[in-house]
Amino acid sequence: MSEENWIEVGSTDSIEEEDLIRFDHQDKTFCVYRLTDGFYATDGICTHEAVHLEDGLVMDDEIECPMHQGIFNIKSGEALSPPACEDLKTYPVKVDNDKIFIKID
Amino acid sequence: MKKNIIILGGGQAGIYAAREIRQNDSESNIKILGEENLLPYERPPLSKDFLLDKKNEDDLYFHSIEVIKNENIDFENVLINKVDFEHKKLFSKNEDVYTYDSLLISTGSDNKRLSLDNNLSDDVYYLRNLEEAKIIKEKVSDKNKITIIGGGFIGLEIASSLSQLQKKVTVIEIGNQLMGRIIPKQIADLVQNTHIEQGNEIILNKQIDKIIKKNGIYEILLNDNSIIETDFVIAGIGSTPSVKLFENTNLKLDNGILTNQFCETSIKDVYAAGDVCNFYHPFYERNMRLESYQHAQNHGICAGKNIAGVKTEYTSIPWMWSDQFNLNLQLTGICDDYDEIIARGNDINNGVIYFFLKNKIIKGACGLGIAGKVGRDIRITSKLTEKNTIVDKQILSDQNQKLNKLIQKQ
Ligand SMILES: Cc1cc2nc3c(=O)[nH]c(=O)nc-3n(C[C@H](O)[C@H](O)[C@H](O)COP(=O)(O)OP(=O)(O)OC[C@H]3O[C@@H](n4cnc5c(N)ncnc54)[C@H](O)[C@@H]3O)c2cc1C
Ligand code: FES
Repeated sequence: MSEENWIEVGSTDSIEEEDLIRFDHQDKTFCVYRLTDGFYATDGICTHEAVHLEDGLVMDDEIECPMHQGIFNIKSGEALSPPACEDLKTYPVKVDNDKIFIKID
Repeated sequence: MKKNIIILGGGQAGIYAAREIRQNDSESNIKILGEENLLPYERPPLSKDFLLDKKNEDDLYFHSIEVIKNENIDFENVLINKVDFEHKKLFSKNEDVYTYDSLLISTGSDNKRLSLDNNLSDDVYYLRNLEEAKIIKEKVSDKNKITIIGGGFIGLEIASSLSQLQKKVTVIEIGNQLMGRIIPKQIADLVQNTHIEQGNEIILNKQIDKIIKKNGIYEILLNDNSIIETDFVIAGIGSTPSVKLFENTNLKLDNGILTNQFCETSIKDVYAAGDVCNFYHPFYERNMRLESYQHAQNHGICAGKNIAGVKTEYTSIPWMWSDQFNLNLQLTGICDDYDEIIARGNDINNGVIYFFLKNKIIKGACGLGIAGKVGRDIRITSKLTEKNTIVDKQILSDQNQKLNKLIQKQ
């Protein structure tokens, strides 16, 4: 793992529990979540149609797409409910000195 | 006990029921009988991404043939044209006989047809299935002026797609607003503005008197004597439950097949699910018929559980969406039984929602926004409705305050 792939997203208190923030880096959009047991990151756009998941609802370990209620597991990216059927890409997250970093490949 | 379970109608409710039965019952024979020679597929893209060539046929199927076979579900392409509930038999046109122990009816809905008093009925196109979507797509490719009769969801979605294909689209609606039967006028007007901004012509309060064909061009005569010239006519004037087959039987019908909260019909061992049902909703304490993706799926699953002997009430709060241009409209609950309306937001870029309350509880809401702007709030609204939460109206009307506050407050 090369160090430079860890990108700083922001401070840990920028995300409320059971919520998410959108993070744009270069041409890509990510969603970074704060769940009860830590921080997670996924692609920021639904795999069903090109809609930002930042407007979706986080419930337990799931993110529900705001457009057609497709549901994904935040930790595994698995598509759990139609019309979403393609999994969402996930990214490693680490916290260092109250700062959140995600590893983008 | 190993049973013969037949599912009549191979659409969304049918396939979800079949898979749910299999989850709970590994033994019984499950057979889906479907008139369309296609595995169950999603209809929403037919009026949207399929017309726009953003999705093709292969993108529409709920499950591959492997998944269906692996679960030991049989799918047979056949049109059933007679039923004998007394002897638990179904008959095809070729007189094949299918005997069941339990039957699920999930025959969906049929488009209403215009009654034209000349021989132009075949010149008006309708959209319900993949076959019709293919025909429309092919036929409009060399046409310019398209007229859509009916300003309901499907008509407007087609209007949006064809406009994006650079067609000159006119929508003629008999009522005084678009999507009149279920959508609040404030939202309908915002949708109408977008259609007009995108170049579509919307004509309200007008009825078709006649359609005439002259040199390959159609003239549509309206009741105010105006004439619309057009190259192609599509009608989307609503639908009716597919119940023709049962009209002379003792199955109880009233705007669809009447079912209770367990998807049971008036006949023992006969269940129904999806668009074809007028079902009892215990939460609203009334019957309703819904034509929506989420309902077809959840109602199918509920019927599947009940058929497999897992007694389950259907209590889902209704929800549906419509996508037109870059707008996403969502409707949850019921919006026709209220004593107060509260608005949240006034700009579609951030989302606009109207809440319908009765005794301080939200019974339904309708929202419109660019892409998914109203999704989260509409979803939270369903939860508040489901839990009969008395809501703080100030939070509801203030877009700067998050609605999840209302959930956390309980
Ligand atoms: C163009 C279009 C766009 C839509 N867009 C949206 C949307 O954006 N959002 C939303 O929430 N909902 C939308 N819907 C609604 C949604 O697709 C339906 O509510 C859903 O498909 C209903 O599922 P069903 O299983 O009840 O019926 P269907 O999916 O219609 O399936 C019924 C099946 O039964 C078959 N059948 C009927 N009679 C017989 C018989 N006698 N013998 C054998 N087979 C028979 C039919 O051929 C059909 O294949 C749309 C519908 C259409 C048509
Ligand atoms: S865009 Fe996310 S489910 Fe459709």
